[in-house]
Order: sequence, then structure tokens, then C-alpha cells
Amino acid sequence: MKILLTILLASSLSAVAGAKEIKLLNVSYDPTRELYQEYNAAFAKYWKAKTGDDVVISQSHGGSGKQAQSVINGLEADVVTLALAYDIDAISQQARLLPADWQKRLPDNSTPYTSTIVFLVRKGNPKHIRDWDDVVKPGVSVVVPNPKTSGGARWAYLAAYAYALETYGHDEAKAKAFITRLYKNVPILDSGARGSTITFAQRGIGDVLLAWENEAHLALKEFGADKFEIITPPLSILAEPPVAVVDKVAKRHGNTEVAKAYLEYLYSDDGQEIAAKNFYRPRNPAIAEKYAANFTQLKLVTVDQEFGGWAKAQATHFADGGVFDQIYQP
Amino acid sequence: MKLNQLILTAIVGAQFALPLFAADSEATNSTGAAQSESPALTAGGTAASAAETEEIEDLKREIQALDQKVQNLEKQHQSQQQAIIATNQEQIQELDQKVRVLSRQHELDQETAEAAAKLQPRFKLDSSGFLFTSADTNFSIGLHGLVQLDSRTYLGNNNVANSGFLLRRARPIIVGTVFHDFDYNLTPDFGGGTVQIVDAYINYHYDPQLQLEAGKFKPPVGLEALQSDANLYLNERSLVTDLVPNRDVGLELHGDLFGGAISYAAAIMDGAPDYSSTTVNTNLDSDLAYYGRIFVQPWITSDVDLLRGLGFGVGGSYEDASGVNGLTAGYTTDGQQRFFTYTPAAGTTIANGQHWRLSPQSYYYYGPLGLMGEYAISDQDVRNGAATANLQNTAWEVQGGWVLTGEDASYNGVTPRHPFKPLSGGWGAWQVVGRYEQLNVDSAAFPTFASSAASASAARAWSAGLNWYLNRNIRFDASYSHTTFSGYTGPSPAVPAKGEDVFFTRIQLAF
Repeated sequence: MKILLTILLASSLSAVAGAKEIKLLNVSYDPTRELYQEYNAAFAKYWKAKTGDDVVISQSHGGSGKQAQSVINGLEADVVTLALAYDIDAISQQARLLPADWQKRLPDNSTPYTSTIVFLVRKGNPKHIRDWDDVVKPGVSVVVPNPKTSGGARWAYLAAYAYALETYGHDEAKAKAFITRLYKNVPILDSGARGSTITFAQRGIGDVLLAWENEAHLALKEFGADKFEIITPPLSILAEPPVAVVDKVAKRHGNTEVAKAYLEYLYSDDGQEIAAKNFYRPRNPAIAEKYAANFTQLKLVTVDQEFGGWAKAQATHFADGGVFDQIYQP
Repeated sequence: MKLNQLILTAIVGAQFALPLFAADSEATNSTGAAQSESPALTAGGTAASAAETEEIEDLKREIQALDQKVQNLEKQHQSQQQAIIATNQEQIQELDQKVRVLSRQHELDQETAEAAAKLQPRFKLDSSGFLFTSADTNFSIGLHGLVQLDSRTYLGNNNVANSGFLLRRARPIIVGTVFHDFDYNLTPDFGGGTVQIVDAYINYHYDPQLQLEAGKFKPPVGLEALQSDANLYLNERSLVTDLVPNRDVGLELHGDLFGGAISYAAAIMDGAPDYSSTTVNTNLDSDLAYYGRIFVQPWITSDVDLLRGLGFGVGGSYEDASGVNGLTAGYTTDGQQRFFTYTPAAGTTIANGQHWRLSPQSYYYYGPLGLMGEYAISDQDVRNGAATANLQNTAWEVQGGWVLTGEDASYNGVTPRHPFKPLSGGWGAWQVVGRYEQLNVDSAAFPTFASSAASASAARAWSAGLNWYLNRNIRFDASYSHTTFSGYTGPSPAVPAKGEDVFFTRIQLAF
């Protein structure tokens, strides 16, 4: 008995002695704070049960473009969970921290959840905003972040532009005029989605916020469903925020295995449930069905369909001298 | 409505009052006869009544029309007021939104400015020099300096050196850091009429407990030798420094353990003779030297004030030296006059193998009191022709100082509490200092390896001085040094046989 107890004690001691504390840095875009707060706790519990190791995940949040630039400039991200593939492509091309084919490494083009752009308006919808046409009317003040720094802002811009293309038979000139009218209604540009939510919901600026769907739901939760309401336009864009391991950084930290597992867990039932609860549209059909009431059905167009992919969209609209620079004068 | 009612009442009242007045006047108009109705008057009265009634009706209609007009005017006024109020409210809302937008824009601009400020490099200029640091503190460059203008007045006759002024040191000291963990130091010296690189090294300090230094720097042996030139008690270092190397070129592993309680250093370098010149930047023979030092300050982090400033240790070196270059050029006095060289009457003395040094050392600082003492052995194999010997030269010194104005003494200098500003009552810090020192040359050096005609076998000196620290950067020193010699017999002295007496002054700028 004594020998057995000794062996047990020794093995538990060795287990404790062998248990590691692993630190991961997840550099993410602006509105995912609540999602990853919940997700990180779940993953840490899962990893502890699986391996006995403690995982401490730090988060960094900001406009997707800014975050990508920070990683390029040396921010030691083990994983990135950004708003659009283009930003992770930039990390790959400019800093060579992960391979160019990173998006093929995880299912669904490395996007475990999707989202879209909706309208958050004041309770009662005093300006009667129902669709994109209402957003561009004179006298309607629109809050949206800066597409130069925010991934959500780029999705919102492309959603409006896509609507105009669909409405005006893919007439670029009319679509440009449409987007010009929209940004004429924008009094202020925050650098990220969370900043725009603060501008609209806390500072009381504007009549409508073009928001990530999850951000709009969070605003109702935080500021009160008696103050705001969500209007889902009939057409919007399918936003696919991707995730990736930053290979060279994870390898340098000795974190590659954990980093991979961290992202793979997003696709698990647990990860998909957490995403859905935080108003991200899960990829898992069963869980999507379970949370269908959270999400309004609408027509979703993709960047590939309407704009020929992110590289083309970025070059045409958001690069220096692109359409956005042409139509927007601060 | 009230106005309308008033008008109506006045008109109606007047209409009823007028006939009464007419009836009264008709009654009083008769010449005295009682008024009586005549048939002709009654018929006329009925006609008048009808006319009056019609008039009243007309007036009533007029009043109603006026009433209607007043109502319309009032409605119009109300609508206008409401329109004005609505317009004002709209304008207020617009202005409110503009103010909110401006306020939010200001917030965002501040956030952007704060973020940008974090990326801006920082610049600092103060008594410790100039420092330019990147926002992330990974890179820096700083400029310090040391300028010492000395005067030496040799008393007595037969001094080799001349009295006068000299620029003892003039050093711009360039220091900095690259990539957070790599420090560098580049120190040229323009003093003494020559230009030379005094220090040039890189130090990798990933951890304070383990650092790697590479380049030209002071080897870890003598305590006073390692002390900064700006913080010496007296103009020149003691005779002990004659036996230890000045600068050398190589690599050193060093660090501070237990919060600085233990400092260690181990170096492998080219090798340097006793009191080597700082102009040497290369190995003068093919052998390397090994240096080591450990210094302990056991109470450095304790609450025991009395013991916190106590430190002791030992430094040493070992090398295989050969040839003339492996031997010291000679030992000098405080006045920098050479009193010993390996110059025999015949032949040439050269280094011939093993050369080791050992130097136990200690200091103690407590409040204004500062004490330092060290002992050095330089043991070297020499040869002159067929003759060989192992010579062991020794030296020791004790020195002390007391800051009269009460500031703390330290290995790193004195900081005046009240910098010199006489009109404000600031007179800087004043310190008295003294030293006793001795150097003994191995008697076996004479006469085969050194000549008593040109060299003394021992020197003893005492010094006393007064230092005035005007502020952290400027210092005035004055001191007197008296050195006597032993074993010197020759007629042609390298130094005055009776000894050397020198009066020193120094003006120092250090930052």
C-alpha cells in the first residue's frame, strides 16, 4: 500500500512538475473581444484536460489592417484571427511569417465562422432605414469605420458597393456615385469597428451604424434593446474572417502544436457553439440550425462573385489612390 | 377671444344704451308739458326700432367676421410659432450632432496623437549627458564627456618632468544600445597630446547575471584601476596601478549576482604588461592572458547601513609573456615620473614566460566616509641573456576621504546636495582626501635585470588633497604628493634621489 501511494504521489508530482505553462498571443480584429474571452477559457479547459498543460492566451484587438501591420512590424503573434484574408496575405507577403497557401490549411478557407453587415438604428427607426438606398439619402448620418484601417469597414463598403452593382446592372459609374453619396453622409471615421460602435451608441452620433452583425447584437445587449434596433437589409455581403497560425513566431516560441490546436478547436462543436452564442454564423450546419433564430436570412454576395477576390478589391478600392481615396474627402 | 368679447360687449352695450339716451332726451326736450306719446311718435318709434335692430344685426355680423379674422390670425400665429419651434429644434439637433461629432473627432485625434507619441523617440539632456532613445527603448545613443585640465608643479630640483598645465584627458564618450540587449561604448581620448582609442567595446546584456563584453576595455584586476577616471580621489592613481594592466583587448564574461552582492568577471585577452599604455590595440606576442575577478558586497541590499557600503574581493591574471613587449615600460610616481625600468647596465631584460598577478582589494563607504585599500603582486619570469629569474614586485595602498559637507561618499563619486550657487547659499560639496602607498621591486631584479643607477628599488608616497564638487559635472581638486625612494644609488637619476614633491590642481568637467 505504501509503495502504491508512493508511486501515485511520485507520478502526480512528476505530472505537476511536467505540466507546462504555455503562452499564446492571438492578434485579432476589433469586435471579437467577447468571443475570444469566452473561447479562450473553453480552449484552456480543453487543453488542460487533454495534455495537463496550462495555456494562457493573451489578446490584442484593433482594426484588422492595423493589426496586420503591427504583426508585420514585429508584434509576436502566435495566431492571427483577422477580419479578411487580404490582411493575413499581407503578413505572409511582407513579413514571410507564414506560407502563401495558409488559407488551405483549415476547412472552409480557414474561416470557422462567417458574419455580415447590418444596420443598427435608433429605436423606432426615426429615419425609416430599411435598405441601402435609405442610407445614402440626404440628411441621414451614417457611422462606419475607416476602410483603410478596419476590416469591418471594408466589408461594409463592399456590401454597399455590391448592392449598387446589383441594383444598377453592374454599372461601375453609378455604383461609384452611390458609394460617394454614402460617404458624404459619414461625419466621422473611427479606426475600428468597436470605435464606431462607441461613436454611435455611446456618443449618440449618427442615424445608422453599418456594423458587423455580432457587433450590432452586442450593442443591443450592452446598451439596451430599448435604445436601438437591428435592421437587416435584404442584401449584404458574406464576411469571412479567417484565422491562421503565424508559423515562424509559433515555432520560435515552441507553440506550434498548441497554436494549431487552438484554431482547430474553433471548428469543434464547442467552438462553433461559442461562435453562435456570440452572434457569429457558425459553419457547422447543425449548430447553425440550432441558433437560426439569432440570424436573419438575407441574400449574401461574396467578394469573389462581385469583386473578383480580395486582392482585386483591395487594389481597386482601398489601395492608395483607389476608389475610396477618390470619393472620400475628410 | 377676450378682445373679441370685449368689442362685442362694447358694441352691444352701446347699441342698447343709445336708444335709452335718445328716449331720455326726447322726454326732457318738451317745454314743460309732460311728455306723452303721440300716435305719430309711436309709428316713427317702431320704424326706428326696426332700423336699430337691423343695425345691431349688421354689427353682430361685423363682430362675428372680426372674431373669425382674429381666430384665423391666432391660428396663423400659432402655426408660425410651431414652425419656428420645429425649425429651431431641427437646428438644435443639427448643432448637437455637430458638437458631438467634433467632440468625438477630438477624442479620436487625441488617441491618434497618443499612439503616435508612443512611437516618437525621446530626447534627454541633463547632468548625466545627452541621450536619444527610440520609442520602444530598443535603441539609444548617448554622449558623455570627460575633460580634465591639470596643473603639476614640481618642487625641488632635478625633476625630469616639467611643471605646467596639461590636458590630462579630453574624451567624448559615445554610448548606446542596439536591439535592446547590445550596449556599445566608443571612447577616444584627445588629451596628453595624442589621439587614441581608450575604450571600444560591445556588451551583450541579455541578463544582468550573465553578460558578454568584447573589444578594448579595462581588464578585471585592480580596484582603483577599474574606478572611473572622473571619480578618483586624487589626480593620479596609486602605485598599485603600476602593477596592473590599464587596458586590454579581448572577451569577458561578467555579471552581477544576487542583486549585486556578488560581481564576477572572467576574461581572455591579448595580455598587457604592468601599467600598459592605452595606445595598444593588438597582441604584442602570440600568447593570450586570462583574467578573473570576484567582488563581494554581502550587505548591499540589507538594512544594515553600517555594512551596506563594504565590499571586498580579489582580482588576478595569468599569461605567458615573452620578449621586450611582454615587460612593463616602467613604474611611475604620482607625478608620472618614471622611477623604475627594466634597464640593466648591460644587456636587455625581456619577459621570459609566466606572468601572474594577484590583487586582494576592498572598499568601505559609510555616509561621508570613503576608504579604499588594495594590495598587488606582479610575479614575472624575466631573462637577460643567459640569466633568468622570477621577480615578484608588490605594491599596496590605502586611501580615504571625508565629505565635509555631509554628502555620501561612494566609488562612483560625490553628488553635491546644494550645487554651487553662492547667491542662493549653495556651495557644492567639499571633501578632504589622503593616501599612503608603497611599491617594492624584487631585490633580485638588481643588478642583472635593472640598474640602481637608473631605478629605485622601492617608492613610498603620501598624498593629501581637497576636492570641491561644484555640482554633478564640475569639480576642482588640489593636492600635494610626496614620494621618497629606496635603493637608488646612481649619479644620473631618472628621478630626484631625494624624492618627488608635486602640487596638483585639476579642473574637471564630466557628464
